Amino acid sequence: MRVSLNWLKDYVDFNISVEELVEKLNLSGTAVESVQYPGKDLENIVVGQIKKIEPHPNADKLVVCQVNVDTEELTIVCGAKNMKEGDKVPVALIGAILPNGMEIKKTKLRGVESRGMMCSAIELNLGEDASGLMILESELTVGDKLGRVLNLEDVVLELEITPNRPDCLGMIGIAREVAIVTGGKLKKPAIEIKEVAELAKDFASVEIMDADLCPRYVARIIKDVKIGPSPQWFQQRLKAVGLRPINNVVDITNYVMWETSQPLHAFDYEKLKDGKIIVRRAGNGETILTLDDVERQLDDSILVITDPSGPVALAGVMGGTTSEVSENTTTILLESAHFKPANIMRTSRGLGLISESSLRFERGIDPNGTVFAADRAAQLMAELAGGKVLKGIIDVYPKKIMPRTLKLRANRVNEILGTDLPVGEMDKILESLGFDVSKAENDTQLDILVPTFRPDLEREIDLIEEIARVYGYNRIQSTLPESSGKQGGLSLSQQVEKRIKSSFIASGFWETINYSFVAPNFYEKIRLDKKHPLATCISLKNPLSEEQSVLRTTLIPGLLDVVKRNVNRDIYNISVFEMGKVFRPALKKELPDEPLMVAGAATGSWGEDQWFGKRQSIDFFDAKGVIENLLATLGIEDWFLQRALYPTFHPGKCAELFINNKVAGVFGEIHPEVNTVYGFPSKVVVFELFVSELVSCAELLAHFEGIPRYPGISLDISLIVDEKISNEQIAKVIRTTEGKLLKEVRLFDLYTGKNIPTGKKSLAYSLTYRASDRTLTDEEAMKVQKQIIAVLEKNLGAEIRVS
Amino acid sequence: MSILDKLEKINKEGQKEIFDASSLEELESARVSFLGKKGKLTAVLKSLGDLSPNERPAVGKKANEVRQFIESVISKRRKELESEALGRKLEEEVVDITLPGKRSPVGKRHLITQIINEITDIFIGLGYRVAKGPEVETEYYNFDALNTPADHPARSLMDTLYTQKDGVLLRTHTSPVQVRVMEKTLPPVYIIAPGRAYRRDVPDPTHSPMFHQVEGLAVDKNITFGDLKGTLEVFAKQMFGADRKVRLRPHFFPFTEPSAEVDVSCIMCDGKGCRVCSGVGWLEILGAGMVDPNVLSGVGYDPEEVSGFAFGMGVERIAMLKYRVNDIRLFYENDLRFLEQF
Repeated sequence: MRVSLNWLKDYVDFNISVEELVEKLNLSGTAVESVQYPGKDLENIVVGQIKKIEPHPNADKLVVCQVNVDTEELTIVCGAKNMKEGDKVPVALIGAILPNGMEIKKTKLRGVESRGMMCSAIELNLGEDASGLMILESELTVGDKLGRVLNLEDVVLELEITPNRPDCLGMIGIAREVAIVTGGKLKKPAIEIKEVAELAKDFASVEIMDADLCPRYVARIIKDVKIGPSPQWFQQRLKAVGLRPINNVVDITNYVMWETSQPLHAFDYEKLKDGKIIVRRAGNGETILTLDDVERQLDDSILVITDPSGPVALAGVMGGTTSEVSENTTTILLESAHFKPANIMRTSRGLGLISESSLRFERGIDPNGTVFAADRAAQLMAELAGGKVLKGIIDVYPKKIMPRTLKLRANRVNEILGTDLPVGEMDKILESLGFDVSKAENDTQLDILVPTFRPDLEREIDLIEEIARVYGYNRIQSTLPESSGKQGGLSLSQQVEKRIKSSFIASGFWETINYSFVAPNFYEKIRLDKKHPLATCISLKNPLSEEQSVLRTTLIPGLLDVVKRNVNRDIYNISVFEMGKVFRPALKKELPDEPLMVAGAATGSWGEDQWFGKRQSIDFFDAKGVIENLLATLGIEDWFLQRALYPTFHPGKCAELFINNKVAGVFGEIHPEVNTVYGFPSKVVVFELFVSELVSCAELLAHFEGIPRYPGISLDISLIVDEKISNEQIAKVIRTTEGKLLKEVRLFDLYTGKNIPTGKKSLAYSLTYRASDRTLTDEEAMKVQKQIIAVLEKNLGAEIRVS
Repeated sequence: MSILDKLEKINKEGQKEIFDASSLEELESARVSFLGKKGKLTAVLKSLGDLSPNERPAVGKKANEVRQFIESVISKRRKELESEALGRKLEEEVVDITLPGKRSPVGKRHLITQIINEITDIFIGLGYRVAKGPEVETEYYNFDALNTPADHPARSLMDTLYTQKDGVLLRTHTSPVQVRVMEKTLPPVYIIAPGRAYRRDVPDPTHSPMFHQVEGLAVDKNITFGDLKGTLEVFAKQMFGADRKVRLRPHFFPFTEPSAEVDVSCIMCDGKGCRVCSGVGWLEILGAGMVDPNVLSGVGYDPEEVSGFAFGMGVERIAMLKYRVNDIRLFYENDLRFLEQF
């Protein structure tokens, strides 16, 4: 809502600076989005008079003018044709900056020095006319500032009006707020209409057929109007608030709407059949050509204003062309009606047609303000368009909407606000808002009659808010809740979630956040079949784009996209993770399942090669190491891996993680085909785990064990076994053979190739033996070691190498 | 030459030779040549038996003196040589300390997580717990239960992302968590709810279809608007600095009343006015208000018995203000060069 302060001063006197006013409005709930100073554009632009016009010696299309600007006479070269000697024109002096940003400087035009510029209307942003100089009225005084003489020096506030305040969509409503915050007095315009003897009701009639959508319809008839442009000052006001002047009658309806917030419509009475207005739902199949020249298909959800021949206006939204006011119009039927907000909103949205009128009606306009607005417009039509106002007002108002009475408990106000306001102060505030307040006997309760221009006030709490905002939020004392029963903290699962992130971060992974929505073909890119459970996803009804039209069922595609994006930007060493929800359709449930997952992707190496050595490239075992770190961080001991086949993964480099015998996730190297789809330059490892499984098995309380008091003995075993035998098999044999003294088994070498027969591999383990109650002797350790060797030879066919 | 003179000669020669030894090896050969099995002094000591009993005590005494003396000289010289050798070794081991260090790989939390953690820590300190709720929500929890009129524009297909299922949408704020928590808990309730929210905004430098919010809710006996102010002031000071001022401007939200938009004095210019705050000295950081009685009664609370306040803030906005990030889309691109900066 744009508000011109020059105009606003018609309705309220205030004596504070613009800055103070802005501050006060901001702090009372009318947010000021911007402050504009239209006259400022015209700094250094004055009224000049052309004394002499001579041809330019070197250019046919230019002339050289002598222009008096009071303080001096300027030589100005000009290309316009429409002026004559003696004309008064706007002159931009040296140093002036035009609204388009152009600075006026002394310049030579084809050899003649020009000291200023005479301007057209469009150059000053004062109109559309670009055909020649703006010729000013001859009475103006030479040398005066143009902004002042044209009354352009104004301050325009752009206000954000919240949806609960339809009354503030009019200057009077804003003036009421300004009066409250400045202590000024609200001055509603006085209405004086000289009605002629003819009766309006003899000219026209109004019938409301659908009073559920149109509770009130007020009409006045004004005849003998002379259609023409509005006076300058009137147009100026409309332009200042962003309305385009059209003709005096239409301008008046717009002006009064801006003033009162009540939308009005002027019909050309002669074009209404039988002078008869019927307000009804449209028939299916009816059409109307609206003022924006669009043929609209109507249906029975849309309220229309009709005459006996058919629709003449879309109620509350826009008029129709058949009854449009034209230059030949002489008699006006002026509509000031009240329509139900929901229906106007529906029509406006349904047709994609939003007007200043519909915006106001859909917020809820004062049903008891219609007559005032009609009278005000009729008065202006008499004053500015020479109209004669017919006697009487046609007012169809089947069921009067009465002001609401609300009770307000004084102690409740203070309880909610934490204040100690006396009842008298509350009373004063509510009366300043224009409410009738009566005190109940015991002085602890107020009865408030809320005027119908405030449809937002329906409950006691609404009044409390009014008191709070007028009293001033910032005057209310700050306190903290006094509760005894509160205890802050993270839940166990939230603590585990934090630890999971810490573990990945400590392993060198960067946390990322990816969109929850992905492209519908996400599953193909990671080699999932359409029938794969992860390919079934939730799709959006109104996505912003195809690329973001379904919800993710796995975090992996998002992470692969991150890898891709970085690779495209020449970043090749990448280790990223994300913890977030995925969305999986759940049968028989209203909402999908939203398991929390944690996933990661890594490629390249752990940093660039360095002066002290090359970095190894990331592979399956890096992923495994990261997961082992995580499990150790979470104190999870009961876990194992199983070789698994996932379409996304390399079939030989993929493992499922089981915790407490339940699948907790999967990790491995991505399938070469996926690699190709994404165009990654090197192999990528990926993992994805269920956070819930990690949470339920995490042991955050560590078990303390005493530090060994006696030294241990480490002995190595080097063996050659069949290639097919896994590390796990060997380690298991080693561990199960002797369970008391053997404390640790560590693989420290793995070798195939030269000196090792084909189909075989060589492994070397370091075994640590320790007794808890004594220093172990070499003989004891050797004895166990020999047992282990014997079992390895027997059970796995291992050949022990002597080093 | 008398044997005593001989000893004196050995003493002098020994001292010289030991003194001249320029390495531990030379010192050792000097030691061997005097004190070794076939050493000069050893030879004299061995010959003591051949002396007459008269001569023996004096010669024996002198020989021992010489031996002790030479030994002490050797030991002194050894220390000198050892120290010199160590000095040389240390000199050889000097490194170029300007060579890059050997760093282990590290990662970091995303800036959004860092901010959420910061906010969370502040409210945990004030006695709040952390609540979560579904991101795919019903219209009921996202709008109806929050007192949003059926015809409210925020519900439109233009503003809210809906799923194919009727009445199921991507939550447009974290406020539904308020309702879900209140439905399951009796007062007192003190929670914050950080999480993702979604709106149908075309991405540009200041808009994203997905963003993060932190919702806060306190419902208890005698909660007042003053408590809301006090709480937000504590938060703002801890989050943005002890000198920050807070102001509340009346606003409208369907689910709170009275409602406010909350500004903090500009973190760049401290309220003097600068580019970050567009010259006004204040930055809007959150929306807040007293929980609307309709919301309380909707979850079965008695608004006459308990009252509450709620607030919600945009995490990206706070991150952008605090770190002057100029494009919200950077948060979801996850360019490592962006992530590494925070």
